[in-house]
Amino acid sequence: MPRGKKLKMPLIYLVLTTGLFLSIFPYLWMVLSSFKVSGEIFTRFWPSKLTLSNYAFILQGGTGQERNFVGSIVNSLIITIIPTISVVFFGMLTAYALRRLKVRGYRYFENIIIYQMLFPGVLFLIPLFLMMRDWGMINNYSGMILRYLIDPWAIFIYIQFFKTIPESLLEAARIDGASEIKIITRIMLPLSKTTTAIVILFTFMARWGEFLWPLIVNKNYDKMPLSVLLALFTKGEYKTYPGVQMAGATLLTLPIVVLFLVFRRYFEEGISFTGLKG
Amino acid sequence: MRNNLVGRKRATQKNLVGYLFCSPFIFFTLVMWIYPFLWGIIISFKKWNLISPRQTWVWFNNYLGVLKDPLLWLMVRNSIYFMVVFITLTTITSLGLALLIKQIPKKYAGFYITGFLLSYVSSGVAYSMVFNLLFAGDGLVNNFLKTVGLKVDWFINPRIAMASIALIVCWKFTGYYGLFFLAGLNNINPTLYEAAVIDGANAWQRFIKITVPLLNATFVMIIVFATITSFNLFTEPYMITNGGPMNATRTMMLEIYHRVFALLQAGYGSALAVVSAIITFAFVWGFRKLIERDDLYDA
Repeated sequence: MPRGKKLKMPLIYLVLTTGLFLSIFPYLWMVLSSFKVSGEIFTRFWPSKLTLSNYAFILQGGTGQERNFVGSIVNSLIITIIPTISVVFFGMLTAYALRRLKVRGYRYFENIIIYQMLFPGVLFLIPLFLMMRDWGMINNYSGMILRYLIDPWAIFIYIQFFKTIPESLLEAARIDGASEIKIITRIMLPLSKTTTAIVILFTFMARWGEFLWPLIVNKNYDKMPLSVLLALFTKGEYKTYPGVQMAGATLLTLPIVVLFLVFRRYFEEGISFTGLKG
Repeated sequence: MRNNLVGRKRATQKNLVGYLFCSPFIFFTLVMWIYPFLWGIIISFKKWNLISPRQTWVWFNNYLGVLKDPLLWLMVRNSIYFMVVFITLTTITSLGLALLIKQIPKKYAGFYITGFLLSYVSSGVAYSMVFNLLFAGDGLVNNFLKTVGLKVDWFINPRIAMASIALIVCWKFTGYYGLFFLAGLNNINPTLYEAAVIDGANAWQRFIKITVPLLNATFVMIIVFATITSFNLFTEPYMITNGGPMNATRTMMLEIYHRVFALLQAGYGSALAVVSAIITFAFVWGFRKLIERDDLYDA
């Protein structure tokens, strides 16, 4: 028994570290490959020399294709940041009205929100596409953004958090003459830092990596987000350019990894009540 | 009396402000949920090529077409195959991860959790591209396997292509699901284990009799997530296999996309979407019936 105990901890660390290596390895390989000359990608793990030519190639738009990758990064940022801000804003506003002001019938609204979260998105794909088309929103940003401006999931987790705030705090502010808007911005917003960080992180991740929807509603190369442009590029003309592909994949991965590392504290704190995000 | 009146006035005012705050959400729900939902159902009863003004009612013909198509059952089979491999693998890896992390000091646990979560934040397009090259016929993984005399046609062999996709999706979700299991483990009262030790239960018995039943809620949640993931699979097969080889990785999402946006069969695609939602619901419902317990150790 004592000998078994002694071996146990090192064994745990060994298994965990091996798992961690497997988990990080694809990233490591992706980043290394993006700096390799094409001959070494499949044959060597460590590059014998580093090159920036893959990045130069992709940022110059490929040869003869003129795919604007720099522009696509800007597009991705536009269709990511606008919904993220909007989801936070309307999430707080709606949750405050339902949970703190308790408008008449708020329980029905909360049930609707839960149904919305669990509803299969596949049912909306075709009619939403047709709506965007009829409203002239194909091939521009609004078509890619509009359906994501309000997220029931964000309302739900704000409700979960707002439940925990004592009413006396808000009553005190009201007696001091604070308007409801002021209470949201001055009291609720600073108190819900963790929740807001989680909403921002998940929404940013989902919108930045979004693929199917912008693939459907936008065929204009100049408006494409990075994910779609890169996917079409990889499946199309640049099948045989692994180094360039990995440079693109690195560009697509980097922003969310950075954001995650900045927000990771909140991620772990909030996991217990973010319960419903697939 | 006066107090009561003021109170009622305040309540009305609260309601007014509240509805004002809610109104964007109500408007959004009507326009972006209820309207498209109803329209989607209506389209599924029509024959329409998305462009022409002619939309003929064909009632249940689209549904009959969907149900009669042998491809539907192949796609359902593919998704079930994916689901079985994915749920088995991820449960082992993420529960294992949580059990191991639970045993190490907190100050190191954070480091490992962060590391494992990195794969979760990767976007579908990016990691599909990476694994497509890693698992290629002459890719790094096969070069490594060659040293022990093996070669696996990960995405080329129709019998294992779907399992390979399940493997890479498992790579993505291990850390994330592990975190849920860890939260579940942290909710288990440690005195239960102490009592079991006193009663002479060994580690395996404690795991089966205490850990597994008390993680029921986490299991249910993860299996529901995994089921929805299985039937909604799109980006990975689109990027890597395009539904091939021999339709082995074709999913309902791929088929809906193909039918509507390549073949312009809006009605058929909508009917397939409805069928796919019903199948997903049926599986989620079935799994919950099968494994969900809410009366654990109540007595």
